[in-house]
Amino acid sequence: MRTSFMNLFYKSPFENLIKHAEKIVDASRMFKEAVDLYLERKYELFETITDQVARVESEADAIKRNIRGHMPRGVLMPVDKFQFFMYLREQDSVLDRVEEALYWLSNRHQAFDSEINEDLKFFVSTTLPAMEKLKNLVEMASGFFRRGSEEEREAIKSMIRDVRQLEHEADHLERELKRKIFNRVTDAIQVYYLIRLVEIIGSIADHAQNATDMMRAMISR
Amino acid sequence: MSELFGISADILIFGVATLLACYMAANIGANDLANAMGTSVGSGALTVKQAVIVSFFLELLGASLAGGHVTNTIRKGLIDPALLSNSPELLLIGMFSALLAAGIWVHTATLLGLPVSTTHSIVGAVVGFGILAVGFLNVSWKMVFTVALSWVVSPIAGAIISGAIFYFLDNKVLRSKNPYGSAKGMAPYLLGMVVFVIVLSVIYKGLKNLNLNFDFFGSLLIALPVSLVAGFVGAALLSRLGGPDCRWIKGDDSEKVECVFAYLQIMTACYVAFAHGANDVANAVGPLAAIFSIAQTKSVVMQVEVPIWMLALGGSLVGLGLLIFGSRVMETIGRKITEITPIRGFCAEFGAATTVLLCSRLGLPISTTHVLVGSVIGVGIMRGMGVLDLRVIKNIMYSWLVTLPFTILLSMIIYRLLVWALV
Repeated sequence: MRTSFMNLFYKSPFENLIKHAEKIVDASRMFKEAVDLYLERKYELFETITDQVARVESEADAIKRNIRGHMPRGVLMPVDKFQFFMYLREQDSVLDRVEEALYWLSNRHQAFDSEINEDLKFFVSTTLPAMEKLKNLVEMASGFFRRGSEEEREAIKSMIRDVRQLEHEADHLERELKRKIFNRVTDAIQVYYLIRLVEIIGSIADHAQNATDMMRAMISR
Repeated sequence: MSELFGISADILIFGVATLLACYMAANIGANDLANAMGTSVGSGALTVKQAVIVSFFLELLGASLAGGHVTNTIRKGLIDPALLSNSPELLLIGMFSALLAAGIWVHTATLLGLPVSTTHSIVGAVVGFGILAVGFLNVSWKMVFTVALSWVVSPIAGAIISGAIFYFLDNKVLRSKNPYGSAKGMAPYLLGMVVFVIVLSVIYKGLKNLNLNFDFFGSLLIALPVSLVAGFVGAALLSRLGGPDCRWIKGDDSEKVECVFAYLQIMTACYVAFAHGANDVANAVGPLAAIFSIAQTKSVVMQVEVPIWMLALGGSLVGLGLLIFGSRVMETIGRKITEITPIRGFCAEFGAATTVLLCSRLGLPISTTHVLVGSVIGVGIMRGMGVLDLRVIKNIMYSWLVTLPFTILLSMIIYRLLVWALV
């Protein structure tokens, strides 16, 4: 028996949003591994992992489309639907940027001097926590919209602050790294290659922060 | 009236009508009451088994103590039986046709998977035979209009009450510095409030069956102390329950808040079952009561009260319907609405039950399910629910538009056929 009461309850999109964030966590681990392999000049393995990341990205894309495709008009959410979709877009962009960075690396197999190598590794490792935090953030938000306690809201706010801090650090590192590249690398192609790479990696944290900004708007009272 | 198979037709009709009324009551229990109890199962305040037990007794109580008003509306409010005092058999056949038409429609709709309301079906069916029996202009259109208006107003009222309570609790409990403390402080007042509304609705001009007739102030004088006592008892129980190593209220602070409200929700679940009994049992019992009194007295004597045993019978049949067929519905709903936590369930149920009980007092047959839908949406608008599909509102409107013409027509056809065959 279908009743109007049963039909009232619509599947929560947060379940899928968490799945989407899990894909980002998967990709973040692969991202680190892939960059390490590249810098160690194990290009074949690097390409394999890049392909895997591309697969994860397309899976995440399917989840995103599923969320968007199942939010018809006339559905009432506890958050602004526009903000929710903006959040989803930014969270998805994080994954796009990871993929873009690996594709960029795969264009040219290039060895760098060891100091740049170390700096790149460090730079990549600073972007990872921001990506991983998105999953915790979505899980906490899902709980908050279910229960609505002030405590949970404060915890989410503090996590948003953490991501902002991480983005700030990544920005700082990006500037230093760019300076170093211009000072140490003389080959114009290498400079362009590295600068573009650093910019793409830097934008990962930017998008993570954009996502958390949207989350802040969603939980505002 | 003629005889069929050697038995007088009115006795036969009464027998079949009783079966039909049983069918309607079981249907109401299996669907309508299962929905109403679903919020308590979904939040985890009650298990399916507990919900069945609680609603069986409270439905019975609600039907017996407060079920008379709506039953009377269906029995004699929509058409004036006095117009048929010269030919009681027509009223007998009419009420039988109404019961049969509503039963057929509800059954067909269930098979087709359409969400319909038993209340709307029975009202439509009574109006249907009334048009033929007493004439179009003699149907109490004013009453019909009032009832139809209440179908629109009652879900909105449920939404406003539930939304307002959630807004209040969100501010005073969930967002407070000490949510558990606030919840504990608030609980006795909420308990007192519920008891107050129930007691007032039952005793204010409501206990004629027991030869008790209180005016409004008399009722207030009884309801106030009773609810105060309930509040104090609640506070005492809660302070014992909420001790440091209590196994009833446990978890971290936000879980404890929900735990307190889980107890309050058990109470509102009872309240919902009570209100449901007061309003919806009439759908099955209303026509049967009319048939019974005609078959018994061979005349249209409508002044007497509906016998309390008949209301109680209806209530227990609804409970039985829930017991036998409703468990699966409740399980399905419970799985589907995990978004509802006890505090939200409390708000939705309180608003819905209060609205339904109020309408029952006014003798307005309304759809409990629709009021509950309104109440849940009310909490949702206050950003208290997960994702709600508001397209249901459109469905509900369609079901009004389809149910009335169909049941009116069906009841007319059955009435005409039976009159042709029997009179």
